[in-house]
Amino acid sequence: MQRYELKQGMLDAIPIILGYLPLGFAFGVLANEVGMSIIQATMMSVLCFTGAGQYIAIGIMQAGGAVFTIVVANLLVNLRYLLFSTSLVPYLQGRVPTAISSLLSYGLTDETYAVAMNRYQEHPPTTSYMAALNLSSHIGWISSTLLGAVLGSFIGNTDSLGLDFALPAMYICLLVFMVKRKSDLFVALSSALFCLVIGYLFPSTMNNLFNIILATIIAASLGVLISERD
Amino acid sequence: MSETSIWIMIICVSAASLLPRILPVALFSRYEFPSLLKRWLSYVAPAVLGGLTALSILAPDGAINISIHNRFIWVFIPTLLVAIKTKSLFWTLAVGIIIMALLYNFL
Repeated sequence: MQRYELKQGMLDAIPIILGYLPLGFAFGVLANEVGMSIIQATMMSVLCFTGAGQYIAIGIMQAGGAVFTIVVANLLVNLRYLLFSTSLVPYLQGRVPTAISSLLSYGLTDETYAVAMNRYQEHPPTTSYMAALNLSSHIGWISSTLLGAVLGSFIGNTDSLGLDFALPAMYICLLVFMVKRKSDLFVALSSALFCLVIGYLFPSTMNNLFNIILATIIAASLGVLISERD
Repeated sequence: MSETSIWIMIICVSAASLLPRILPVALFSRYEFPSLLKRWLSYVAPAVLGGLTALSILAPDGAINISIHNRFIWVFIPTLLVAIKTKSLFWTLAVGIIIMALLYNFL
């Protein structure tokens, strides 16, 4: 059973790793360009598992910004995980020991969250599954960063491989999986709309991803309201 | 940025990115949430995915770009159909990536 869960977690991580490959690779290349060593670039992906946050760090470094600015920007960008992590609690309670689930939450990202939530709708979480999914994804992120930092200068444009559509394709598919009730579809569509409108009205939220936080809060509340009517 | 500042930056970013992920699971696991809150939380995942999908398609480079020149919108349509039809992450990814590569190289 444990071995099965472990294997399932690794299998479920494969599409995530595919999507991370170009992103981690590009991060490694860019990190190198702004003056980080191969070790620093790789260690950043070991210690921080935050694609958006790491890209922002590079951008601010390139613009000559301060460490303080990078850290504040990262706090903002990562705030949404407060919501993600809280919404996992009802599933993990009593199934994965708190100390272990807290440690494994290190590997919580948009993608591992989406895949895990999708699985937990029908299968109770286990330590093995959570560990395999999160750690495999993290190892994928670290290895692609390392590859990018080492090989960066040899490889040109990865856009021509179509890999920049890997993560959007994954979001689309997980969204289809996630929509089980009519109210889910309503919540997803209204969140998408709010996200864009907020991003349009307040362009800075497009960078710190506050639009996702606000849109999620509004859309989830609407979901509760309309499901009460059912 | 100096060698030392880069390391300090990495460690601070690590803390900033990890705390929001770990704290809720670490602190709230002891409590049973009220059912209304649980219902609200059950909508967080569809909402997050709706937002992420919209942004990744309609603002692929970070700025909203709703025009016929945005390739992501064109690839979105067949990819969504494949996702609904096959319910397979593998096929959805394969079709999305291949169509994107074709559009990129031949248009």
